[in-house]
Amino acid sequence: MFYRLTGVYQTDYAKDRALWPIPTDRWIALLLLAIAIAAPFIFQVHYVANYMLPWLIWSSAALALTLLMGVAGQLHFGFAAVMAIGAYSSIHLARFGVPFELALLGAGLISAVIGSIFGAAALRVKGLYLVMATLAMQYLVDWVIVNVPAISGGAQATLRTPDVSFLFIPLESVWLYYMALLWTVVVTLFVLNIKRSSYGRALVAVRDKDYAASIIGVSPFRYKLSAFFTSSFIGGISGAILAFCYYQAVTPEQFGFHVSIQLVAMVLVGGLGSVVGAYLGAGFVLLLPMILTNFVAGLGAMGILNVSASLLAHIPLMAYGALIIVFLLAEPLGLAKIYDNTRKYFLVWPFRHGQS
Amino acid sequence: MNHLLRKTLLGSAATITLAAGTSAQADDTITFGLLQDFTAVYTFVTDEYHQGQQDYLELINQRGGIEGKTFDTFVRDTGNEPDRGIEAYSRARGEGAVLVDFLSTPVSRAIVDRALDDETVMITPLHGRGDASHGETFPYVFPMMATYWAQATALIDYIDEHRGGLEGKTIAHVYIDTPFGREPIPVLEELAEREGFQLETFAYPTPGTEQSATWSNVRRARPDHVLIWGAGGGQPVSVREAIRNGIAPEDILSVVWLAETDANTVGRDRFEGVRRFEAVAAGTDYPIIEAIQEEVIEPGHGSGSEENVGTSYYNIGVATMAVAVEAARNAIEEHGVVTGETLRDGFYGIEDYDAEGLMPPVTFSPDDHQGGGMGRVSKWDGDSWEPLTDWFSAHEDVVWEAIERDAADFRD
Repeated sequence: MFYRLTGVYQTDYAKDRALWPIPTDRWIALLLLAIAIAAPFIFQVHYVANYMLPWLIWSSAALALTLLMGVAGQLHFGFAAVMAIGAYSSIHLARFGVPFELALLGAGLISAVIGSIFGAAALRVKGLYLVMATLAMQYLVDWVIVNVPAISGGAQATLRTPDVSFLFIPLESVWLYYMALLWTVVVTLFVLNIKRSSYGRALVAVRDKDYAASIIGVSPFRYKLSAFFTSSFIGGISGAILAFCYYQAVTPEQFGFHVSIQLVAMVLVGGLGSVVGAYLGAGFVLLLPMILTNFVAGLGAMGILNVSASLLAHIPLMAYGALIIVFLLAEPLGLAKIYDNTRKYFLVWPFRHGQS
Repeated sequence: MNHLLRKTLLGSAATITLAAGTSAQADDTITFGLLQDFTAVYTFVTDEYHQGQQDYLELINQRGGIEGKTFDTFVRDTGNEPDRGIEAYSRARGEGAVLVDFLSTPVSRAIVDRALDDETVMITPLHGRGDASHGETFPYVFPMMATYWAQATALIDYIDEHRGGLEGKTIAHVYIDTPFGREPIPVLEELAEREGFQLETFAYPTPGTEQSATWSNVRRARPDHVLIWGAGGGQPVSVREAIRNGIAPEDILSVVWLAETDANTVGRDRFEGVRRFEAVAAGTDYPIIEAIQEEVIEPGHGSGSEENVGTSYYNIGVATMAVAVEAARNAIEEHGVVTGETLRDGFYGIEDYDAEGLMPPVTFSPDDHQGGGMGRVSKWDGDSWEPLTDWFSAHEDVVWEAIERDAADFRD
């Protein structure tokens, strides 16, 4: 009833392979896009500037990582370093006078090249060993940024983003939000399309068993490297967007190891390899602590929770930890699976054969 | 640069209910946003510091506030994360906060541009950008206490004056490998050249819980004095390793981040003789702290454990709010209302204010947001911190050279 399938016939292959073959899915996607576009005019500025904007940017980063970890099966625990490379390169390029559009591309390419060099470890090692190799990347990049003043921006180790314009539109005020939205929509469509292309299927083959993939003619060498390249490219540009559209000043601490862990958490909590999951995971990891902090602080202000400021600050942390456990116990495949279950339930509603 | 999202839209009317709804500040309260890191990196200082801030504001409120206005705080944990800091900042502004304090370098750096755009006073005592002392470049940012550069020059001057001069000596700078740790190096190099001592620098990796490899190198350099430049858990490790490597406690001089807890960790007796820079006096023998004990703690209005009252970081918190309250008082006297702008002018009205001896006399002006950058050197006498010098500052030309240089970078 909600997802009307009656009358939906795929009469050619193109229609069958459409991104959203079921009209309801398509309408939901369009509705969400419309809300996102209209957001600055319908929501309070506080929520657009401090919730939706960072959520979009972190979602694009999580999409890049889910492409690598979920689709291609290569673990990466140094993804914040990839974003740092993108952020720093874009700022330096823009300061040299390179147009912002090219600076973004350049930042993506530099991140992609450096990311692939470290990704090359994946050709020899897998699983936990690959985690170690990518961790090494995190620490090396951190070290280089901190120790080379020309990169970090001198004694204060803070680089401000210069004023730039994108396609002749000066990047300020509400355009910061639309820039982030544009980038996230592009990445989303890209990852959705990868998943239904032969390239995506090759990545999945490599993920599931790399030597089986090589037997059927999929070169693990090429696909592993290209997965690192593509994902680092997107991650680098996401880092640049984060710097230009949100932080407006970068310091090394903003891309530390804990950020890498948060990115992995976004992908895992959201659901490995899922596009919806990347959004939900980023929302969970980024926004939930803010919401919980404000909720608990609100209780404190009403006098319901009369405890010290320190304990009040730790309660959201406990709640957050508990929620991660609850969600992962309830659905180990992540938030995306919860969405999927809900969708399948309504797909056949009022009947009960939606289990899968 | 950056006109933020909120700006344009605030202008375009219709959409904004938030601003109209909550930012209208009640006339009789002044709100400060204390948006600090209670849960991540700065936990070694935040609890005591925040408690000092709250207790001092409570003292003022108990006495009826200033000119009939009382103080309210808007408190949020940022977890040292810029995203949460930005959100908390925006919310605090919505609640009418005229002053914010993040006590977190990464967060306050992400807010600098926003605070300048929004004309909100941001205090960055002992954290954040040292070059924000340059008031012309950073009209709304107040480091308000000695910057790390001023601390380095003061410690070197202390060696010069009280420890047998500098000529021909070797001084080791042992620091945590972060921008904070390396911040004083250019200033120290300049002084080494000027004063004729040899400077050796040694970095240890974050988070500083393991430093033994670094200290065996320090030992090899046979330094006459050692500066330890870290914060939190790394500091007692530095002291312990220094003593283990044959450096006498009295030759160990620390940046401001060394406190009673570190002495307890190392051992109160072994710690005896260690020197540190202090920007604010420690202990309870000061009129303001005594007043807090009498009027806030004893009637049960304290915001935390009584044991913390009078500790180094508690007193720093008290001092920050003492200055802020003074600024607010000036703002009311001059303009009648406290907004970001009048509060900033209120800071400029502060002249030789020393919080009844709790801190060095500070004077703010549109040029100098550091307030003079004075401090003193104290030593651990086995039980408490005993001041060895009067309040002083040294080599201010070198400090201001560094401030001007970085502020010029910022303007670019």
